[in-house]
Amino acid sequence: MSNAIYAMLGRQQGLMQEMQVVANNLANSSTTGYKSDRALFGEFLVATGSQSSSLSMGGLAGHSFAMAQGALKITGGEMDLAIQGDGFFLVNTEQGQRLTRAGHFQLSTDGQLVDMNGSAVLSSGGTPINIPQNASEIRVAADGTVTISAGDGLPPQEVGQIGVVTVDEEATLVRDSNSYFSAPDGHRPAENNEIVQGALEQSNVSPVLEVARMIEVQRAYEAGQALFEREDQRVSQIISAIRNG
Amino acid sequence: MKSLQIAATGMAAQQMRVDVISNNIANMSTAAYRPRSAEFSDLVYQQYLTPGTSTSQVGTLVPAGIQIGTGVRPSTVSMELTQGALNPTDAELDLAIDGSGYFEITLPSGESAYTRDGKFNRGQDGQIVTMDGFPLTDGIIIPDDAQKISISRDGEVVAYFAGVTEGQAIGNIQLVRFVNEKGLEAMGDNLFRETQASGTPTQLVPGTEGAGFIRQGFLEGSGVDVVKEISELIEAQRGYELNSKVITASDEMLAATTRVK
Repeated sequence: MSNAIYAMLGRQQGLMQEMQVVANNLANSSTTGYKSDRALFGEFLVATGSQSSSLSMGGLAGHSFAMAQGALKITGGEMDLAIQGDGFFLVNTEQGQRLTRAGHFQLSTDGQLVDMNGSAVLSSGGTPINIPQNASEIRVAADGTVTISAGDGLPPQEVGQIGVVTVDEEATLVRDSNSYFSAPDGHRPAENNEIVQGALEQSNVSPVLEVARMIEVQRAYEAGQALFEREDQRVSQIISAIRNG
Repeated sequence: MKSLQIAATGMAAQQMRVDVISNNIANMSTAAYRPRSAEFSDLVYQQYLTPGTSTSQVGTLVPAGIQIGTGVRPSTVSMELTQGALNPTDAELDLAIDGSGYFEITLPSGESAYTRDGKFNRGQDGQIVTMDGFPLTDGIIIPDDAQKISISRDGEVVAYFAGVTEGQAIGNIQLVRFVNEKGLEAMGDNLFRETQASGTPTQLVPGTEGAGFIRQGFLEGSGVDVVKEISELIEAQRGYELNSKVITASDEMLAATTRVK
């Protein structure tokens, strides 16, 4: 087969994968705290023999996620928290500490603040937040300080501080399911943020961008298929020319 | 072609969101109904190239890698703990909870159930019963000849008799609270059941330890905000359409593939 077909094949495979990325973004357009993904293409060179020049091929080389702030949806839930600005909530899962922007929290049976998968929400130092059972009202300040009031006449009581952490290089974050990210290089407390109580951060997927991307991918793919057809015709013309010649 | 399946998970998720919204709207007049909201999480990522793997012998690392997601799943449909509006009814056994807590009801099986719907009546033996005839667990018996019943904010039930000015205390209504209310299992009929996730109930005097007050002559309305539900519905519908567009586009790509030969 000619090299033109091989070069195109790599491109087509990459486009198929990019379509998956677009599909995943659109499927998660209502996922709290979801960050949209982008496929990045890279060039690599293939040697075609000692006499000829090498062949340049394109393929999926990496991906990046858009860390842009998602819109805040006001829910009024006292344990619905959103981060406005940089950083992630820190949660303790069975696989270790994970980072997430999805702040739909609740209480566990033993009174710990947990996320929707039951993982404990931690302070930036790594300790869980315990809410006493007699708490009638939970207030979360912009810096994550959790204060409860326990009925009439009793003074408000501080019970912990929800941690907001970040990593030095966002590209090193590994995506996990359940809207989690894992940080293999560790994390540090984040700055430039505030926690908003009674709101959830919506997915930052922009449907317009994704649909435009989807059309682009589809058309590029079809153009690639047309090239296959053209190449196929060319080869068969050569064959018939040789046969008739 | 995975994008077909990925889009299908997206459509299923939006469909479920519409189901939840329609149940909320259907219950916009149900006493003490608390709206539910569906939350989603992304599914596992396929690691084509893990970030941090080395690409050369001198230790160059892949900065971002290639991870491709596989769609979305519903992660929880949780109850929004909103206080419904208190609507005056003037009926003496209409009770609303102003704040947190549940009334405890005994089911015919002997099991306990919990409700915030305070539309009570006198049962045939003088018990305080729900609309379905299940009695309050507190075991208060209203004497047959009681003219009037007064229930205080902290749950004390006092009966008044004809010709007697002084009332007679006949019991106390207690409220129960759970560590994690969202973990209660909805049984229908405005009733909830305790689960492992909710924790065990704590009985409290109304107005103490975080429990709400009892308001006699009021009923708690539904917590559903119809405007909010409709805007959610529009979002869900458009989300569904977007995912169906992915299916169309993927299908056309496949068609282009099959056209080649």
